Amino acid sequence: MSALSRFVAAVALLAFAGPILGADPLHARIDKQIAAGFGANAKHIAPRAGDDEFLRRVYLDLVGTTPTVAELNEFLADSAKDKRAKLIDKLLASPGHARRMAWHLDVMLMERGADSKVPRAAWEAYLVAAFAENKPYDALVRELLSADGSDPKTRPAAKFFLDRNLEPHAVTKDIGRIFLGRNMQCAQCHDHPTVDDYKQADYYGIQAFLNRSFLFPNANVPTAVIAEKAEGDVSFMSVFDKNKKLNSTAPRMPGGKPIEEPKAEKGKEYKVAPAANVKPVPTYSRREQLAGAVTSAENKAFARNAANRVWAMMMGRGIVHPVDVDHGNNRPSHPELLNELAAEFVAHKYDMKWLVREIALSDVYQRSSETPAGLDDPPADRYLVAIMKPLTPEQFAYAAMQATGHTDAERAALGAKWTEAQLDARLAPRLGPFRAMLGRGGDATADTFSSTLDQTLFLKYGSAVRGLLTPRAGNLTDRLNKITNPDAVADELFAAVFSRRPTADERKDVADALKNTTDRGKTINEMVWALVASAEFRFNH
Amino acid sequence: MLPCNYACNTADHATTRRAFLGSAVGATAALGMAGFANPAHAAELKKAQKRVLVIFLEGGVSQLETWDPKPNTDTGGPFKAIQTSVAGTSICELLPLSAKQMHRIALVRSLNSQTDDHGVGHNVMLTGRKMEPGIVYPHLGAVSARLLGSNANALPGHIRILPKGGSGFNGADATFLGPKFASVGLGDGKPPADLFRPGNLTATEDDERDAFRKRLDQRFAKSRKSAATDAYTESFTQAERVVKQAAVFDVDKEPAKIADKYGRHDFGRHMLLARRLLEAGVTYVKVSHSNYDTHHENFDFHIEQLGEFDRPFAALLDDLADRGMLDSTLVVVMSEMGRTPRINDRYGRDHWGRAWSVALAGAGIKGGAVVGKTNANGTAIADREVWSGHLFHTYLQAVGLDSTKNFYPNERPVPIADPKAAAITEVLA
Repeated sequence: MSALSRFVAAVALLAFAGPILGADPLHARIDKQIAAGFGANAKHIAPRAGDDEFLRRVYLDLVGTTPTVAELNEFLADSAKDKRAKLIDKLLASPGHARRMAWHLDVMLMERGADSKVPRAAWEAYLVAAFAENKPYDALVRELLSADGSDPKTRPAAKFFLDRNLEPHAVTKDIGRIFLGRNMQCAQCHDHPTVDDYKQADYYGIQAFLNRSFLFPNANVPTAVIAEKAEGDVSFMSVFDKNKKLNSTAPRMPGGKPIEEPKAEKGKEYKVAPAANVKPVPTYSRREQLAGAVTSAENKAFARNAANRVWAMMMGRGIVHPVDVDHGNNRPSHPELLNELAAEFVAHKYDMKWLVREIALSDVYQRSSETPAGLDDPPADRYLVAIMKPLTPEQFAYAAMQATGHTDAERAALGAKWTEAQLDARLAPRLGPFRAMLGRGGDATADTFSSTLDQTLFLKYGSAVRGLLTPRAGNLTDRLNKITNPDAVADELFAAVFSRRPTADERKDVADALKNTTDRGKTINEMVWALVASAEFRFNH
Repeated sequence: MLPCNYACNTADHATTRRAFLGSAVGATAALGMAGFANPAHAAELKKAQKRVLVIFLEGGVSQLETWDPKPNTDTGGPFKAIQTSVAGTSICELLPLSAKQMHRIALVRSLNSQTDDHGVGHNVMLTGRKMEPGIVYPHLGAVSARLLGSNANALPGHIRILPKGGSGFNGADATFLGPKFASVGLGDGKPPADLFRPGNLTATEDDERDAFRKRLDQRFAKSRKSAATDAYTESFTQAERVVKQAAVFDVDKEPAKIADKYGRHDFGRHMLLARRLLEAGVTYVKVSHSNYDTHHENFDFHIEQLGEFDRPFAALLDDLADRGMLDSTLVVVMSEMGRTPRINDRYGRDHWGRAWSVALAGAGIKGGAVVGKTNANGTAIADREVWSGHLFHTYLQAVGLDSTKNFYPNERPVPIADPKAAAITEVLA
């Protein structure tokens, strides 16, 4: 292709908001943008993470668990230059990636609320299937915001609304936060006093899409579906308004144009008229306009927030941070980068897997989390050093099962013809207590993490972790019991739990512990617990 | 008006909120305030530390069968009023031992809590606020743990002893103060299971494995350290301190003589456990006694229930006084409401929030004071009407706190106690 025709093609594609041809790949542009923000700290950037550090990180981020000892050994032994890129592609293609993304989207969308109307199993199956086929994110969100729960096939998608009981303020607030990155809760009662961007009319503009909808027959029925009336407008007044002026708005996205609504012909407002025990169906549905309005190209906040959330999942903080506080007084750390991520995400048809891959390929993602000498308390938003992310409850549970060899033992028990689906069916039931205990109050980010007394006692004395330590054929304590050489014990222990080789000091600690013990089995059990309970294991570093 | 959350729960102000909580990022919950005092000062701190005990008579206790008897009236019922240790103050004959403690007790006989509903009453009495849409106020226990919590103690600052049921952490009662001040619930006085070392793990093994963990964490922290990793490793140190004190939860460690004084029944045991916890430095304990919801056979039930209440309550006041703790421990006997003066056709009394009584003793309380009055047959307040907001101010001021200050969740001022009410100074020493 000649330079001219390439140029023409690029322009033509640009006109259709296609990928920018001829430009560097996105991961290279990410690194340029991040490097531009180093400032005076440019000399103190952490080096590229070692292979072991990278391996553990990318496993946890892409498939939600840690590698097996065999996978660690294989990767460390591989001398291919492109082995990291190959690994990223392998993980993205594996069933574990769909499971990990389903976990992530579940928490992002439902925030660990109680399952009231759509059972957890159906919801998770729906999300896993969506990520297994790499459903474009905009298509996924359109499903979530348009399903009314009446068709059993699409009912799981209606969970976002149904499990919030379609409570007007809950869904308005959460549409703003989760899909637009704007927590406009304050705008429920008045224009935000300090944030110019959040207007009360914006809040009610979103609510107007849903103000005619309600749960039929009522919110107390677990099988309830979404129904809608043909009339009704939102009305609001500012609590600061001494004149108590009542306002209204047609449905619209924040900052966008109101949706033009057809004038209902008298007597023809309904396809199915309301009556006792009858689900009404209006001729014109406001709610049906919502999915299109949220995901439309004009509503820039949608792609921007989605790209920012994927970035935050991978990097441990949002470019806009926190991810639902996108407004003029909380500037993005790298505004141009965020614009570029959002534009490319749209150009790649909201392909989540593509975006995850590009971020994983970047140098900034692959940087070490070890603080370099001379750098004290590095500012997190400059990405000089990789941010340590607390494992989510799901990551912790799966990593603990892998680390302790529980997963290996289950896999072995399935025989040579085991499948990922069979293995997952054996592991997933153990998620419950980890979710209930470690996920309480939603998932923490690096800067909101805490460990409460009950959470720590759960790890210390609870049966969910201790149950994984009892020796059984093929699990870690069993394997370690069979190794006589103390150095080999240390190697296997650190490979299994930390996904790395032990240092000389650590080998000595293990040897000393084994030398002094009167009960070798118990000492091995104690060491496995100590590694699982350590900070190195609790964080994706 | 639209429901509005004035304390908008946005992450916008999260950092400030944590700073406000006065602890490092991710400080561990339910452990009293962060940091540890020099043991040499511990005794001094213990003396100075104020504590709160709430005895909650669940279901709605009858004011007529307790603190405000109306014998020989149409509403009075069959019981007599008896003299107390305070001349001129009589209470119901169902509380003979409490009567002898009256010089330590102040009564508020003119409470209008403005609700006849169990759930609302419970909330209103423990928060000192009317329920408002959009904001959920923290309970007295969380407020006490937050404002009185001592640096010297690792134990949870907010404990509820419940008549039965399971035990667990993290009651939904701290709201914007954060999980650190949420209650630990002890069903039938039993602590949560994970508080105890499992039987098949010896103390030595436990110490060894934790020492191994510490070494790993110290090495890790040399090159990788953040507020979050610090909070995580520190949480094990604090958990260990609580575990080492787990015997505090074991009421069987009390001498038989003391246990006899409290009474050998569930409520007696729960009250003794409460004193044990307070003595060990827990800031706030709430003991529930169930059940006073006597729509039928009010009088028989009150004989039974108050018979169980009277001895441990009197024993507890004596015990606190003997140990020099009464001056620093506020004791409140409350309920979610009172009961109707009118006796229904099943010899019961129904829900009634309009004119009933609360008893206070201990820290900052003027023993023997009686505030407010109901009319001759108890159907209306005759003098000095107060509501739950006044009581909330009173509790806090009794333990030396300025109840007119604010909390600042999300950078917005939220008054600690309802600014429309004020302390009932007549009961304050």
